[in-house]
Amino acid sequence: MLSSTHDVGSVADFPDGVPVPVRVAGRDLMVVRQGNRVYALRDRCPHQGARLSSGRVGGMTRPCKPGEELVLARVGEIVTCPWHGWEYDLISGCSLAAPERARVATYSARVEGDRVLVTV
Amino acid sequence: MTDTTVTAPATKVGSNGGSAPSLIDADVHNYPNDIGDLLPFMPARWQAYVQQSGFKTPSIPRYPKGYDSAARRDAWPPDGGKPGGDPAFARQQLLDEWEIDLAILNPLYAVANVQNLDFANVLMRAVNDWTAAVWLDSDPRWRGSIVVNVHDSQAAAAEIRRVAAQDSRFVQVLLLVRSHAPYGRREFRPLFAAAAAAGLPVGIHFGGYGTNPVTACGWPSFYIEDHTGMNQAFEAQLISLVCEGVFSEIPETKVTLIEGGFAWLPAVMWRLDKNYKGLRSEVPWLERRPSEYILEHVRATTQPMEEPENPQHLLQLLDMIGDDRFLMFATDYPHWDFDAPDRALPAVVPAALKRRILVDNAADFYAFEHP
Repeated sequence: MLSSTHDVGSVADFPDGVPVPVRVAGRDLMVVRQGNRVYALRDRCPHQGARLSSGRVGGMTRPCKPGEELVLARVGEIVTCPWHGWEYDLISGCSLAAPERARVATYSARVEGDRVLVTV
Repeated sequence: MTDTTVTAPATKVGSNGGSAPSLIDADVHNYPNDIGDLLPFMPARWQAYVQQSGFKTPSIPRYPKGYDSAARRDAWPPDGGKPGGDPAFARQQLLDEWEIDLAILNPLYAVANVQNLDFANVLMRAVNDWTAAVWLDSDPRWRGSIVVNVHDSQAAAAEIRRVAAQDSRFVQVLLLVRSHAPYGRREFRPLFAAAAAAGLPVGIHFGGYGTNPVTACGWPSFYIEDHTGMNQAFEAQLISLVCEGVFSEIPETKVTLIEGGFAWLPAVMWRLDKNYKGLRSEVPWLERRPSEYILEHVRATTQPMEEPENPQHLLQLLDMIGDDRFLMFATDYPHWDFDAPDRALPAVVPAALKRRILVDNAADFYAFEHP
């Protein structure tokens, strides 16, 4: 199927770091803008179907040994499902816990001028 | 709050109706937003006590829950208040969205955390009257659970009789699985006797009160351990109920294990049945194998659904349990580990069994009216 690019709104419609649900070409997507960078993912957790756009965009705890300091990393690159807390990489769409088994479809997205564009 | 008897509308549930309702949710949570919600349901003396003492809540969480109020992030009512604190929003987000025909409310209000027995008993009665007035009156699909104070079994029994006599929309008695002592012990017998006399199952729900750790070997560090290990408490309660003779002494007793999982059940039944052969003289009131009492008197809710890598293993587990009547579907709304009605049961579950789990088993166990 041919892909096409869609204007999903102005930059102001996408507050920095806040997931926003949009419907593009019959698909429900979750779009997150971080400055001039934009991520677009299918708005559905593959586990039990929750809307990822109701989740929280934040970071992940960096792997460490017991007793070591717990450190937040990759801030702004992870979305956490609003229900069971499954975490997904906004760039790859892969689940952090089971990247080979759970993945959310990702779409190309960008800021152009004052507009946010998504290609599906 | 009311002197008049309230009768549940005759909701038709079952597999034979033309437009048959097809979904019962056996575990939903309603919460007072704060103690102010309960004040109208307390006598004047206790309203003054709350205001003077500054009492806020009996909940004393041992572990941060990972998510605020242990709730789905999308379950916070848009008009304010707590998840599970707004009947209209819960109706819309749960009952309407999923077309649920009946849902059993389990207010996790840990009155037993309050050591002042008189005040705990006032809170117990207030929660039950609040559930009736604020929730059950708001939509005919809600059913209620009677909160009781397990530190005062006689008062609990009296409360079961009081509520059951005036409002048939209450369909079970609610206990929390972590307790100061196993529920089979004789101190709790008046409570079970009252529930059985009222024809009500006793629901034993995830969570608890008091000072006992969730494990038999002390306090774990993390919520993931607490949450995962809660089945230990369920196992302990089930073994206690059987061995102390609750089911043999009060044959009408029905128990629902809520949010405790069920994959552990075959192992417990096998172990208990084996030990019964050599140790039965210790518990001579047991005239049958322990597993027979369990399958006759006990049911479990599905959520949090066990999710084996190979879904066929789930069917094998159900086969090991050996009774298609055992499981009843539940969402646990509004909590973070909510199970979606359309996704929780894997596709490998046969349609007839799925129907049993989603509606018929609960309809039978709670004696909801069939068409």
